[in-house]
Amino acid sequence: MTQAQQVDRKLSPAAGFWLRNREVLKKEFSVIGTRVPRIESKNKVTGEARYAADMKFPGMLYGKILRSPYAHAKIISIDTSKAEKLPGVKAVVTGKDTIGARYGLWRLREETMDEQGLALDKVRYVGDEVAAVAAIDEDTAIEALDLIDVKYDVLPALLTPEDAVKDGAPEIHEGIKNNISVNRRIEVGNVDTAWDKCDFVMSDTFKTQVVQHVPMENLASVSIFDSTGKLTVYTSTQSAYFVQCLLAMALGMKEGDIRIIRTFTGGGFGCKLELMGDAFCSALLSKVTGKPVRIAYTRRETFVNSRQKTSMKMDVKVGVKKDGKIHAVEFSTTLDGGAHHSYNVTTTMITGILGTLPYRIPNYRYNGRHVYTNLPVTGAMRGHGAMQPVFALDHMIDLIAKQIGVDPAAMRIMNATQPGDVKIPNICHVSSCGLQEAIAGSAERMNWREKYGKLPDGHGLGIGSYGFFCGALYNYFNTKRPYAECWVRVNQDGTVHIFTLMAEIGQGCDTVISMIVAEVLGVGLDAVTIKSDDTGIVTGDTGAFSSRTTMMAGNAAKAAAEDARRQLFIAAGAKLGLKVQDAFDIKDGNIFIVRTGESMTIAEAAMAHQNANKGAPVLGRGIFTPSSHLQEGTVVSPTWSFGSQVLEVKVDKETGQVSVLNSATAHDCGIALNPLAVEGQLEGSIHMALGYALTEICKFDDKGYMINANFQDYKILSALDMPPVDSIVIDTDDIHGPFGGKEAGEGLTIPTAPAIANAIYDAVGVSIKSLPITPEKILRALKEKEGK
Amino acid sequence: MRLPKFEYLGPKTVQEACSLLAQHGDKAKVMAGGTDVLNVMKERKIRPEYLIGLRAISDLSYIKADADGIKIGALTTLTDLANSAVVKEKFPCLAEVPMKMATVQIRNMGTIGGNLCNAAPSADTAPILICLGAKAKIAGPKGERVVALEDFFTGPGKTVLGKGELLVEIQVPNQPAKTAGAYLKMSRVSVDLAIVGVGVVVTREGDSCKDIKITLGAVAPTPIRAKKAEAVVKGKKIDDALLEEAGKIASQEAKPIDDVRGSAFYRTEIVKVYTKRAIKQAMEQAK
Ligand SMILES: Cc1cc2nc3c(=O)[nH]c(=O)nc-3n(C[C@H](O)[C@H](O)[C@H](O)COP(=O)(O)OP(=O)(O)OC[C@H]3O[C@@H](n4cnc5c(N)ncnc54)[C@H](O)[C@@H]3O)c2cc1C
Repeated sequence: MTQAQQVDRKLSPAAGFWLRNREVLKKEFSVIGTRVPRIESKNKVTGEARYAADMKFPGMLYGKILRSPYAHAKIISIDTSKAEKLPGVKAVVTGKDTIGARYGLWRLREETMDEQGLALDKVRYVGDEVAAVAAIDEDTAIEALDLIDVKYDVLPALLTPEDAVKDGAPEIHEGIKNNISVNRRIEVGNVDTAWDKCDFVMSDTFKTQVVQHVPMENLASVSIFDSTGKLTVYTSTQSAYFVQCLLAMALGMKEGDIRIIRTFTGGGFGCKLELMGDAFCSALLSKVTGKPVRIAYTRRETFVNSRQKTSMKMDVKVGVKKDGKIHAVEFSTTLDGGAHHSYNVTTTMITGILGTLPYRIPNYRYNGRHVYTNLPVTGAMRGHGAMQPVFALDHMIDLIAKQIGVDPAAMRIMNATQPGDVKIPNICHVSSCGLQEAIAGSAERMNWREKYGKLPDGHGLGIGSYGFFCGALYNYFNTKRPYAECWVRVNQDGTVHIFTLMAEIGQGCDTVISMIVAEVLGVGLDAVTIKSDDTGIVTGDTGAFSSRTTMMAGNAAKAAAEDARRQLFIAAGAKLGLKVQDAFDIKDGNIFIVRTGESMTIAEAAMAHQNANKGAPVLGRGIFTPSSHLQEGTVVSPTWSFGSQVLEVKVDKETGQVSVLNSATAHDCGIALNPLAVEGQLEGSIHMALGYALTEICKFDDKGYMINANFQDYKILSALDMPPVDSIVIDTDDIHGPFGGKEAGEGLTIPTAPAIANAIYDAVGVSIKSLPITPEKILRALKEKEGK
Repeated sequence: MRLPKFEYLGPKTVQEACSLLAQHGDKAKVMAGGTDVLNVMKERKIRPEYLIGLRAISDLSYIKADADGIKIGALTTLTDLANSAVVKEKFPCLAEVPMKMATVQIRNMGTIGGNLCNAAPSADTAPILICLGAKAKIAGPKGERVVALEDFFTGPGKTVLGKGELLVEIQVPNQPAKTAGAYLKMSRVSVDLAIVGVGVVVTREGDSCKDIKITLGAVAPTPIRAKKAEAVVKGKKIDDALLEEAGKIASQEAKPIDDVRGSAFYRTEIVKVYTKRAIKQAMEQAK
């Protein structure tokens, strides 16, 4: 946001909506709300940052994984003898060398844990891990893979949910009938009696595709078992904690005997959130060889063997009143989970929650079912559980608006969720919500009123709205530790050290956590150092997912800094002779008595504390467990972000090509703690979500092999394809967030696909109900419409 | 992905390169910029024992104008082709092509010779060069020969180059007055191979098209001329109906397949539209 826009936001009461935010903007902060470039950016742009694949240790071996060529097969035998004899090969391991433990994310529900480090008896997708080799270099390891002789008994491959649920279809996981492993249902109001009270009802089917997260850095790990039997793993991950716990389960070790060090992480978006083959196989190979072992994924492996985004087929029925008020929604979806559960046990539920978040739906029924197929594993990805249902519902709104003659933006404002709404009792309660402001703000910025319906043929405007978690609270993982823990140490020289396990993966949380601590302690960012990469130090944080970083780790950091500040105040009070009626303030590195102005530096106070405490430094501890923070009942997320996006497109009617000409996005992230980061997230989100809407899709052949696992054939957008991006930050000052902040990580990816579909519908009058919206689909639809 | 092991040979002259090629036969592969060949090696689709790098041959990168036209050394990078003043002046439609290809980094490495010898049906430099009547100069153990670029390609990844032969030069002849061209490329995103490429060169006479060549890329095993469409347009006054007709006929001449980038249906449709648009654009340039 430029300076001018910031002023504009404060002064113009856009449609009378900003009023609620006035109070907030009056607050005085010195660090919070300033535009801070990422604190680790210099390490990255100079090349001094070391990523997992850059790690080298004396005697280190290189590992490679042998993967199944079949989508579904029994393993009859594995002969590794030839590979073992190849000079340079130090170890070959198969499922027999594992303890055969099953692990998974839902530790509270053991029956959902369906993964094993290496296949024991069966492979379930093309690429499933069958064996692993450690050798003196990667070439030798690759060569050794060819020498492993695996005999398979090939089973029928189930490549679509339709095939997988058929009676008599083979069970991909034993005992899971029809391959349907999860069913979830949500009921609000009474849908069955609601349809009669609607003036207009529409039903349709929508489909979304499988895509991959495409982090710029591929997955990689270096594992080191030392002679005491303890394990250290350097890895590129969003959650050192999950890797630690899952590795302990998979290897039969104690969590405390495993130390995970997160190296600089080049993006994750959900595909580096679990235990993958790189960490598991390198650890096993290190155990066997006693040497450090590195496994770095290729791009194909990141595409196929980390995670992919869940595709869905969604049947949607929406009933509205004459004026456009939504009265009832019935939403049924089938998730194609691929070969294992990953996060989809959760996805099957949250799809039903996130679909309803933007709008008030008095009568709502959701049915979700998760189906196993013999394809790569799908799971969490940025916009998790929201991009699919919101694409369907938010496009449907426009189809209905057209039918009943209501302006789509007005229809959204009329139905928008508002502060204090109870969306789903005991599951989804809203605290702050700036959605109406966001819809009005983004529409106004794009001159909706002047332009909508009045653009030349082939040009169109489209809008999409969304809401998202700020840290889901399901304790499915049975976390034995607090949701977020942070320590803040103030040193004798006035420097401040932060210890957290929240993962900086490129989203800017090291920066925002440092800003929060600096604000509380009245120091500049240059006084702060953050350590966030080591389970050997602070353990209590589950990592970067579910847009939880600012809410969870931010609150923990704030609490820790406040604890440290309290200790400083006590030490300073003793020195300065504080009176009962006096209050302290802390600013610019100084602690001072508000009434007299008497002061001492933070360094002096830290020293005074140590002198008074047998040398113990000022060490603040902060814990954040959101449930204690909430009204009873709001069990899914402490609060929710909201927002709205408007896009202008041009469609070439002869080729079906879509150009995005302009965009404006209004995001309610509570208070924008670091506006620069919010804008960066927005740009990244549009980039990612336009790919999702227009070009990205994982394609498989009829044997389940992914045919486009490279950047020549799988198309993400480049900078050249980016439209202008304009952002409007809606401040709602949330009561739960640290300094009122909410999330700005995932929510922003949600509105783009429906906004594109809506803009195309406005431009050329065709509705495309399956992603990605390729020129070919548009062209076919146009031809059909014109009866050609 | 890592490269498999190979031995790198760096001949200093064309003759040396040709004899190394002849000597090692199928075990050797030529590398110019390497932007195609190294990728397929990483994927282990080919595993040459020897890679014969052409970079040390100093006199293969040039653009020279003479009385007949211009001569482009095979090792000329795509960037140099785009920036060349004489190409811009004499054949602006050719100078524009590299800017529709790849990325800055790839254009700085990738060569025109590599693009042609790689013989992808989608090679972007081929259609317009074929329309311009370009010729390929080939050097080999038995000396040099020159073939029309139109006859250079024999299939996907296949050319007329025989054992021990190298492409050394592309010759583009001078064009008649009032001649201009256009190359239209359809791709999924900015950095992508062509789903369809349509090159057109026209010679204009008043409002009529005196002469025309149309070459289609990515819709057949090699770049192909759309000769029936050319015949429809040649010698006629250009109007919308004729352009529609030409597009339709060109699309019938295309023999596209479904692949990961696009379907045969879509390719056919785009040939129709882009042929029409390219002729129109070229006619305007030729005024
Ligand atoms: C990211 C990316 C984007 C790309 N985008 C495009 C695009 O938009 N359009 C497009 O057409 N291409 C594209 N390419 C492909 C490639 O960059 C071009 O084809 C380039 O011109 C190849 O030139 P080179 O010098 O790198 O060829 P090399 O890889 O060195 O060689 C290619 C082939 O030609 C042979 N060869 C090279 N020179 C000679 C010679 N003088 N005599 C005989 N044989 C020879 C080699 O043996 C090899 O088989 C792209 C590639 C990448 C990696």
